[in-house]
Amino acid sequence: MSGSERRAFRGLRMKARKYAVAASVSFRERTAYGGSFLGTALAYALFVFVFSRIWGTVYAGRADIDGYTRAQMIWYFIVAELPGMALSGVFWSLSQDMKSGQVAYLLSRPYSFVLYSYALGAGKALANGPILLAIGCALGFLTAGPPPLSSAGQGAGLVLGLLLAGSIYYLLNLAIAMTAFWVEENAAFFWIFQKLALVAGTLVPIELLPGAARRAAWLTPFPAMSYAPAKLLAAWPGTGGALGLLGYQAAWALLAALACQAIYALGRSRLRVNGG
Amino acid sequence: MDRVKAYLRFLGTSFAVNVQAVVEYRANFLVQTFGMMLNNAAFAFFWAVLIGKVGNVGGYGFADVMLIWALVSSSFGLSHAAFGNVRSIGQIVQRGELDLYLLQPKDVLLNVLASRTVVSAWGDFAYGFLVLALLPGLSPGRFALFAVLIVIGAAIFTATFAAAESLCFFLGDATGISSAVTEFMLSFSLYPESIFGRGMRWVFYTILPSAYIAYVPLAAMKALDWGLIPPLLGIACLYAAASYGFFRLGLRRYESGNQMGARI
Repeated sequence: MSGSERRAFRGLRMKARKYAVAASVSFRERTAYGGSFLGTALAYALFVFVFSRIWGTVYAGRADIDGYTRAQMIWYFIVAELPGMALSGVFWSLSQDMKSGQVAYLLSRPYSFVLYSYALGAGKALANGPILLAIGCALGFLTAGPPPLSSAGQGAGLVLGLLLAGSIYYLLNLAIAMTAFWVEENAAFFWIFQKLALVAGTLVPIELLPGAARRAAWLTPFPAMSYAPAKLLAAWPGTGGALGLLGYQAAWALLAALACQAIYALGRSRLRVNGG
Repeated sequence: MDRVKAYLRFLGTSFAVNVQAVVEYRANFLVQTFGMMLNNAAFAFFWAVLIGKVGNVGGYGFADVMLIWALVSSSFGLSHAAFGNVRSIGQIVQRGELDLYLLQPKDVLLNVLASRTVVSAWGDFAYGFLVLALLPGLSPGRFALFAVLIVIGAAIFTATFAAAESLCFFLGDATGISSAVTEFMLSFSLYPESIFGRGMRWVFYTILPSAYIAYVPLAAMKALDWGLIPPLLGIACLYAAASYGFFRLGLRRYESGNQMGARI
């Protein structure tokens, strides 16, 4: 490695370290104040319980629906709900930061606002996600038996799928929150996003949607946030199919990151801060 | 009787003032109202897909599920539109803000409850009527029965949430329990009773009274049975009285925060 390459590598490592520290602070904050997470954990457990009962009723006298057995459907829901629940509330706190002007304090610091914000979200998700996953697994075991996990490759695919799903979810939340640069009351955008995410792959697999809705769903990022990781666990599509789903998620993660960067660049100039 | 009239006038005035405050920010009001209606409609799509695939869920067809949604949504909306502070009592107590209400000549609980409206609740309230209008068989009698049932449902929602919030007098921070009660009440009310099994039924008729907000009103709506109204009214009065008594019991333990403030 030449001297200039070494310097570039060291610079890159220093940059990565900044964001790792931000993620670590966010992680520790979540673990130190775990009580505030109790409501989310309880809500997640309740949703899993309710849906396990719904599927229990629906599957009475049926072996499968569109290729999914009762156990697969329960495990599907457990994973599909996970990214959104692990990052619940991020839109409201991000949006509040935009509206209150808090974001102005971050603009002058020597880091990328989008990457810094992403690091904070990653810390939060890495603290919340495993707890929710443990709750989901416990309920899944009780209501549907062991998870349909057959190989280490499938496990690795699931973890990667969940990380990409969480990344897309967070970045799209950030993009919607940044619309506050233009429109102060942006909650309706989030509600629309949240509900489309629910119907396009969270509550039921895409395969169950009517033809036109299914085709429309594939043109959106929503299946990448819920359907993809859930499918990787509940109905493993083989190595080729899994790589296709992960590639689809990676493409949406990149698009979401670029969208955030573009919205931030456009919106930053509109920020007005009074006082200090 | 004069006292009842005075309180009805007071509640009417509080409601009117809250409405005026809300419509002052028209864009926000419309965005939140329609946003909440859209929010609820997402679940209608889920049920349409699911019931389209399997025929019915535990004996409930699409119209039944939508009727449950209409009843629960409008009851919940009415409860939070008229008594917007119902899920903020704990916060008000913890911050010592109850002092402001204690100094006023009206009943503390009613005064606290009625002093705010929740904007998005108007969307919930309207959504139920919209669903009812879209379902087959709309008639003046059905509409009137629905209106009475949601008033009863709103009273039971308010009583249950207020009782859960009043736990803060005894436990300090009871937000976890209070939000759990909200989630459980809504989740149990919005899904068919039959999916939960017989073992859980006693819960819906006692501590989390979803049965009187969703299941019994659904039976009344389907049969256009006004005979269920008197027992439901009696049950709503019982829950309201128990909740009021629990709040008063807790209030004895309240310690002033010595906070200076004013309500105009």
